[in-house]
Amino acid sequence: MDLSIILTFLIFGLPLIGFPFVIGIGYIKKNYSMYLGTVLIFLSFLITVFLFFTYTVKGTVIQYSFNWLPSLPVVIPVGVYADNLSMIMALMVSFVGFLIILFSVGYMKEDPNRHVFFGEMVLFTSSMLGLVLASSLLMLFIFWELVGLCSYLLIGFWHYKPNAASAAKKAFIVTRVGDVFFIAGIGAAILYSSGAALSITGLGAIHLEWQRTIVALLLFGGAIGKSAQFPLHVWIPDAMEGPTTVSALIHAATMVTAGVYLMARIYSLDLSILTPTALSVMLYIGIVTIILSGLIGLVVNDIKRILAYSTIGQIGYMVAALGLGLGVTSIGLSIYQLEAHAFFKALLFLAAGSILHAVMNVRDINKMGGLWKKMPVTVTAMLVGALALSGFPGFAGFFSKDSIITASFGVSIFAWSLLAIGGFLTTLYAFRMFFKVATGKPRSYAAEHAHESGRIMLIPIVVLAAFSAIFGIFQQGFYDFVENKPVSSAFGIAPLTITDIVPVIIMLAGLGIAYLAWGRSSTIPSKVANGARDFYLLVKNKFFLDVFFTNVIAERGVIGLSAVSDRFERKAIGGLVDASGELFQNSGKVLRKIQTGLARQYALIILIGLILSLLLLRILMLSGVIH
Amino acid sequence: MLQISDLFLALVIIIVASAVLRGRWARYLTFLFSFAILLFLSLNNLTLTNFSYGTLSILSLTFQLNFVSSILLVLISIVGIYIPLRFKSTPGFFVLLQFLLFSLIGIFTSRDFIVFYIFWEMVLIPSFFVIGIWGGKNKNYAAMKFFIYTHVGSVFMLLAIFTMYFAEGASNFSMSTLISGVGSISLPYQAFVISGFLFAFLIKLPTIPLHSWMPDAYVEAPTEGTVFISSLLSKMGAFGLLVIFSPIFMSSSLAGSTIVPIILIALGIFTLIYSALVALYQKDIKRMMSYTSIGHMSFISIAVGGFLYLNGSNPLASQLLYYGAVFQLISHGIIIALIFSLVDTLEKSTGTRQVTSLGGIARKLPGLSFLILAAFLASVAIPGFSGFVGEISILLGSYAVLKYYLILVLAGVVLTASYHVFTLQRTIFGPYNEFLGNIRARREELLVAILPLSLIFLLGIYPALVFHIFDIHSIQFLGGIHP
Repeated sequence: MDLSIILTFLIFGLPLIGFPFVIGIGYIKKNYSMYLGTVLIFLSFLITVFLFFTYTVKGTVIQYSFNWLPSLPVVIPVGVYADNLSMIMALMVSFVGFLIILFSVGYMKEDPNRHVFFGEMVLFTSSMLGLVLASSLLMLFIFWELVGLCSYLLIGFWHYKPNAASAAKKAFIVTRVGDVFFIAGIGAAILYSSGAALSITGLGAIHLEWQRTIVALLLFGGAIGKSAQFPLHVWIPDAMEGPTTVSALIHAATMVTAGVYLMARIYSLDLSILTPTALSVMLYIGIVTIILSGLIGLVVNDIKRILAYSTIGQIGYMVAALGLGLGVTSIGLSIYQLEAHAFFKALLFLAAGSILHAVMNVRDINKMGGLWKKMPVTVTAMLVGALALSGFPGFAGFFSKDSIITASFGVSIFAWSLLAIGGFLTTLYAFRMFFKVATGKPRSYAAEHAHESGRIMLIPIVVLAAFSAIFGIFQQGFYDFVENKPVSSAFGIAPLTITDIVPVIIMLAGLGIAYLAWGRSSTIPSKVANGARDFYLLVKNKFFLDVFFTNVIAERGVIGLSAVSDRFERKAIGGLVDASGELFQNSGKVLRKIQTGLARQYALIILIGLILSLLLLRILMLSGVIH
Repeated sequence: MLQISDLFLALVIIIVASAVLRGRWARYLTFLFSFAILLFLSLNNLTLTNFSYGTLSILSLTFQLNFVSSILLVLISIVGIYIPLRFKSTPGFFVLLQFLLFSLIGIFTSRDFIVFYIFWEMVLIPSFFVIGIWGGKNKNYAAMKFFIYTHVGSVFMLLAIFTMYFAEGASNFSMSTLISGVGSISLPYQAFVISGFLFAFLIKLPTIPLHSWMPDAYVEAPTEGTVFISSLLSKMGAFGLLVIFSPIFMSSSLAGSTIVPIILIALGIFTLIYSALVALYQKDIKRMMSYTSIGHMSFISIAVGGFLYLNGSNPLASQLLYYGAVFQLISHGIIIALIFSLVDTLEKSTGTRQVTSLGGIARKLPGLSFLILAAFLASVAIPGFSGFVGEISILLGSYAVLKYYLILVLAGVVLTASYHVFTLQRTIFGPYNEFLGNIRARREELLVAILPLSLIFLLGIYPALVFHIFDIHSIQFLGGIHP
């Protein structure tokens, strides 16, 4: 086996094998787990960098599969497939993963169970790397489930908190709903390609359009669950009960984008797999998600939940970018947004984590304020993040998000206008959060006594802030690389057109309105809320989707059905069995009464029986049954 | 190569020795019993092996070691090692356990219908006594219900066997001749034979609505009894469906028809969803987990129905279904044994197994909580655990049969996951329920649980191990699976 193949396996294999040791070594000394975990992910990152520059850049696709179940007649391949798309994802995952684990060393240093935390973080990172490098849909699904498992365990890391236990459960069940569509999608792909699609490169063997539509939509069902798109987005805001570093790594930068990666992966291997039907479903699911999450993000007060809704919306842009159906251009747009988002959203979460560390974990932005002076580095970094998120010219989000909006102009004016409105909402909630956190007077005791975090937490923040600011310079090179075109230069931006001005104007308008409303003391927000009372309540209640899922589907529907089944089980089935048992017992009781022991009665019964039998015999003979 | 008669002889000697020596010896000899089975398996050359000892009047003394039976024999020896390791029961229990394992070996290897039937009925005796002697409050009710209910199924099987014998005019009860000749008898008789076997096997599996012996038997039996009933007795029905019912169906003139497979699949899907819904409402974890067992076994009837429906038209999907089902047998056997013994540890350490009285166990008993979490994740079929392999193979394969109806199976999968995580949230996570006081778990009980758990991991990560037990290419029956 070639060295490159072994190394590719090691990218995720090393931390996967290493994670039990990370937990185990914690029983000797808890801090050792932190160091071992960080080193493992750093090694993965180094291997990825090495492979990236020695093989991928030169156009080599590292590809190797072996049979998962040897000795069976059916061949189920598992292995690695490292082309441009998966390697650039692996590079991002290991790099951001390393930075966040480094941040966790400072953030979690006082937690009594930190060895378990680091073990689970290492398992997560390795599974995520396995997911992006998988060579078959089945292997992708295996790691897809493992990242989901890690998400479940890490959301519930502080399991003694009732909210965390409940949020973990909700995340597990909701993503599970998506996962089963993924299973159905794999099953459909295998059936319609006569088994060729067991390997990820065999998706092209599905010939009929309706079959491709079914496969694409089922796989997209999985993506909806994992990537928190409408209507299965409800688990992410609750998932914010986990440690902030978990939110940064899993629920912002990597795992939630797995669904987008999945769709981009199959699209890049076979451009016809996403049929026009599937594409328009994706486009409009993405757009609905962007608008809904943008609106909800405006009325939420929990800093982490604002970021969660922002994540949902930004992933909506990635999905919509794929849904534009521009072939490889769509993949470039989507994956570029994915990576830019990973940097600035991880930055925003880590900044939020740093702030929460300082204000004793009070997450309500109404209780913050004036933190710019207390924590200059963190809050400046947060400003960079907010500018990048809202797409301020020059920052990462401008190149990634506004390019998607501009590209949609050629596809559909309707989609274009909705995506632009989404951009406006993004700016509005991003700066609402920023102004409430950073400016004004401290609105609580904790905010008054906040102080800057330690260096080990600031280093990752600064590095991520730098990436969020300058990531745009790689734009054109990135597009060419992901689209498998010859890359002339790593640096350079895509040419701007006249339509690019529109998102910028909208974004600046949003910034201005945000300043007027929240940058100074103002009554505008309450006036708007009162003016459109019904709409405000609709948004404040998250469009009643959570209520619908929890109260109607879960409690009335499933629990109700379950109560009915339980009654049926006890009364009907149990009763029927018992009744048939009693029937035989009672018939025994009745027959027992004949056993009187009186010879006269027995003689009478014998006589009657004899006469009846003779009569029966006679009748049968007359009717010709017996001759 | 070792003769199976030698194995039977050795096992009988061990059983007699345990019964005579009693005391601690009964427990130790159970290990020897299990190792003897493993030794027998490892000395055989892992291909389809027939052991023929002539005929005795109308009986043909033929035994066969095939793919499914060798895997089930491995499961029997695993359970036979695990139970004496985990439970220090009375000598009488171990003698009954050995007797039960012996009868199971007979069921899984005999190739004569009468011998098969005798072993099939022999299984009832030790199970009946274990429930009736060491059971809980309602032990008499549960034991009687178990005995009569499953016996009713066996009667129909016996009638079906006699129908085949007399209608075919066969000279003995050899399975191979009776099964291959089933297509020659008149159609109503064929239908009766098929439905008789189906009825008996579906009761044992069990399939809803023929399951109501099971929750009572599981809950009332002592834990060591629950472990072997859930782990091994449910395999009788699965074995019957895979190795006896399917060939009968395939060689009957109903082979191409879809009605029987559709009934099997529909029952399987209904069982999966219904058992998950009922489990969701249970407060007693042991009762809940008995419905889990029903749910896991429903995948077997879906798989069997699936490949009978395909009838060889899609070899890939048929193989996924068939091997998935066989894998599910061993995987479920180990997982459910682990779950029931952990529930027992939980009950002993906290004094209750009601979900509502527990809560936050993870704070006090991290070891036990980790094991329960792992066992539940295995039961939900998370990759890395053995439960995943069987379930995903069956799900992927059944798309070829079910198409859009697969959504029903998937709904069952989601519901199964739901009640598992609900239970986890309410028992081991959340704030600690202070009413429980100061609880502690026995360390050796936790250590023993590592054995099945490591097997679950091993099979989950390297599932090919199961298929190495046997030379797959020598499998002959079941039209279309091996063209």
